[in-house]
Amino acid sequence: MNRRLAIKQVLIFAGGMALLPSCLREEGKVSIPLKNLDISATQEKLLAEIAELIIPKTDTSGAKDLNLHLFVLKMLDDCYEPVDQQQFLAGLKTFEGHEGKGLAQLVSDANTGKSGISEEVSKFYNIMKSRTIGGYLNSKYVMSNLLIWELVPGRYNGYFRVKSA
Amino acid sequence: MSNLNIDSIKERSYDAIVIGSGISGGWAAKEFTEKGLKTLVLERGKDVKHIVDYPTTNKYPYEFEHRGELTLAIKKDNPVVSKCYAFREDAMHFFVKDKEHPYVQEKPFDWIRGYQVGGKSLLWARQTQRWSDLDFEGPKRDGFAVDWPIRHKDLDSWYTYVEQFAGISGNKDGLVSLPDGDFLPAFPLNAVEDYFKNTMREKYEGRHVISARCAHLSQPKQVHFDQGRGKCQNRNLCQRGCPFGGYFSSNSSTLPWAQKTGNLTLKPFSVVESVIYDEKLGKASGVRVIDTNTKEVTEYYAKVIFVNAAAINTNLILLNSISSRFPNGLGNDSGTLGKYVAFHNYSARINAEYDGLKEFSTDGRNPAGGGYIPRFRNLLKQETNFKRGYAAGFQAYRSTERDTSGMGADLKAQLLSKNLGPWQVGSHMMGETIPKESNYVKLDTEKKDAWGIPLLRISVEYDDNDAKMKKDYLEQMTEMFTEAGFKNIKADDAGQAPGLDIHEMGGARMGHDPKTSVLNKWNQLHDCKNVFVTDGACMTSTSTQNPSLTYMALTARAVDYAVLSLKKGEL
Repeated sequence: MNRRLAIKQVLIFAGGMALLPSCLREEGKVSIPLKNLDISATQEKLLAEIAELIIPKTDTSGAKDLNLHLFVLKMLDDCYEPVDQQQFLAGLKTFEGHEGKGLAQLVSDANTGKSGISEEVSKFYNIMKSRTIGGYLNSKYVMSNLLIWELVPGRYNGYFRVKSA
Repeated sequence: MSNLNIDSIKERSYDAIVIGSGISGGWAAKEFTEKGLKTLVLERGKDVKHIVDYPTTNKYPYEFEHRGELTLAIKKDNPVVSKCYAFREDAMHFFVKDKEHPYVQEKPFDWIRGYQVGGKSLLWARQTQRWSDLDFEGPKRDGFAVDWPIRHKDLDSWYTYVEQFAGISGNKDGLVSLPDGDFLPAFPLNAVEDYFKNTMREKYEGRHVISARCAHLSQPKQVHFDQGRGKCQNRNLCQRGCPFGGYFSSNSSTLPWAQKTGNLTLKPFSVVESVIYDEKLGKASGVRVIDTNTKEVTEYYAKVIFVNAAAINTNLILLNSISSRFPNGLGNDSGTLGKYVAFHNYSARINAEYDGLKEFSTDGRNPAGGGYIPRFRNLLKQETNFKRGYAAGFQAYRSTERDTSGMGADLKAQLLSKNLGPWQVGSHMMGETIPKESNYVKLDTEKKDAWGIPLLRISVEYDDNDAKMKKDYLEQMTEMFTEAGFKNIKADDAGQAPGLDIHEMGGARMGHDPKTSVLNKWNQLHDCKNVFVTDGACMTSTSTQNPSLTYMALTARAVDYAVLSLKKGEL
């Protein structure tokens, strides 16, 4: 993808979340303001990797391009009970220190619900995956380019012909 | 008395005062000002100007911080209003927050309120059906409440009058249960809604599925353009306020119309503490108003007063209007004020799938919501073990089928798939409830709100009739869905508390007899003739129809009567 477009999309997406440039924030801390969660820059980076494994860049933008991990953090911070937040962070620990193929294997195991997966990991992954998907489908990028959402449809057809499956 | 005082009183005097600017107050404002009366409209909340004050109306889903969802903090602070389907990130600024305006629930009651100019007319579901005589005659035929002092013929021309101005889309279906009106073209049923309609017609006598009748401009006429409104654009984002004026609200329609006459004074942030009764004149002389910001108390005077504060708050105002003549509340000689409150039973839903008609889907959005099933139970005679019956919504739609179990490129392909799943169908119940003395609202004798007005205590609950009716709804719908070949039928006993239907009614009911009712057939207090109530508080029974259209018609009719009476010197 055109780099300028990618940057633009990131900025537009970030604008909706009041994202502050990381240079203005405490060293080693998460790059967006969070009210309840204490997240490190390393954890943020890990979440970005996990989100990218869930929705990778292909010929269209992926999770990192759209900063979906920051959306997950925003939702986790504002919309979940402390107990859920704690479980999420506890589950995240399992993935810390892993990268590349090792990380991909752990995420794949969590995704398939492989036996022996802890409750924390399962809780973490459920939130991580559902919010990554939600952030993706509700992103400006997807809604403007891939699955068009119309503000003003101006029509209704109750007998719209489609190919029957 | 000094000239200054006389001037001050004159400045605070109007021909008519309307308390409330919601769907019925807006109509009272329009009718009074059009007839040349200087009219003061008092609104307890903030001003909401059409278009200008719809901050979220043109936002895309991704422009909302939480993509429409409520945060945990908001949910925890607002356990009541958070239950309302429309209280989401895009429209929550139009709802009363629980803590701002507390009330006492003697029994669980979710009281959903919109304190702003336009009230809940900004937020309503816009469903508009007339009442038939089968509704008005209900209490008399089935032996509950008191007889309505009016019938459809009394409202017929007023229904037409408000339908033409508001713009109601619908078909002339020719049903005895649901009189036809003066309609704009209906929003048509879709393939599966039509299929269900035809199946019902074949398998049952007297069960109909019609296009929902709604207050949307499907094809506006000159009178709508004159209001500054345009064609509905099928956005279905109505609860944010519509920049096209595609649906009817006080903000888009009646209030700007009243403003144009030059006879309207609209005062936001003005909560009415009570109606002032003049013992010498034997009638009301005005209202006592508290500025919600400064708490300053001001009295305003008028020859006629319309109380349109929304059903339960209208009860509060009347109950709080104490004088030596009316120690138990204005116009409450009967002792029924605040009692016989009823609502609509919305506590059941049913969903299923349909595997046929896959060559069709829908394109665009239907603001009417789909189909409407008028009441068919106990319609012409009593035939079940419960009184009255229910109407129901019926909707069908298809959405894309996504298998989200995978991850990576496979998941992404699934998310972007445009493959449609089977049709999803759903129905929700709208049951009539029986007004009873034991379902009441009253003033708390100790607790007061921030303005020194007593808190309201609400004691309203379902009864055995409601339970039997719900059981029947779920049984009948299951049977009808089965007949139609719908699969995977899931009944949902939502178990929601009364109130969440947002159709609370009664407390100041209309009736023939001053001993058993508060209002006469003109919505006029039996015992204080220059005070009228034309919002939900006036309702003797609830029927199954969405009530707003009836409030509009009753209001226009009552204003006409009030102005004629004024001219004759009778008020």
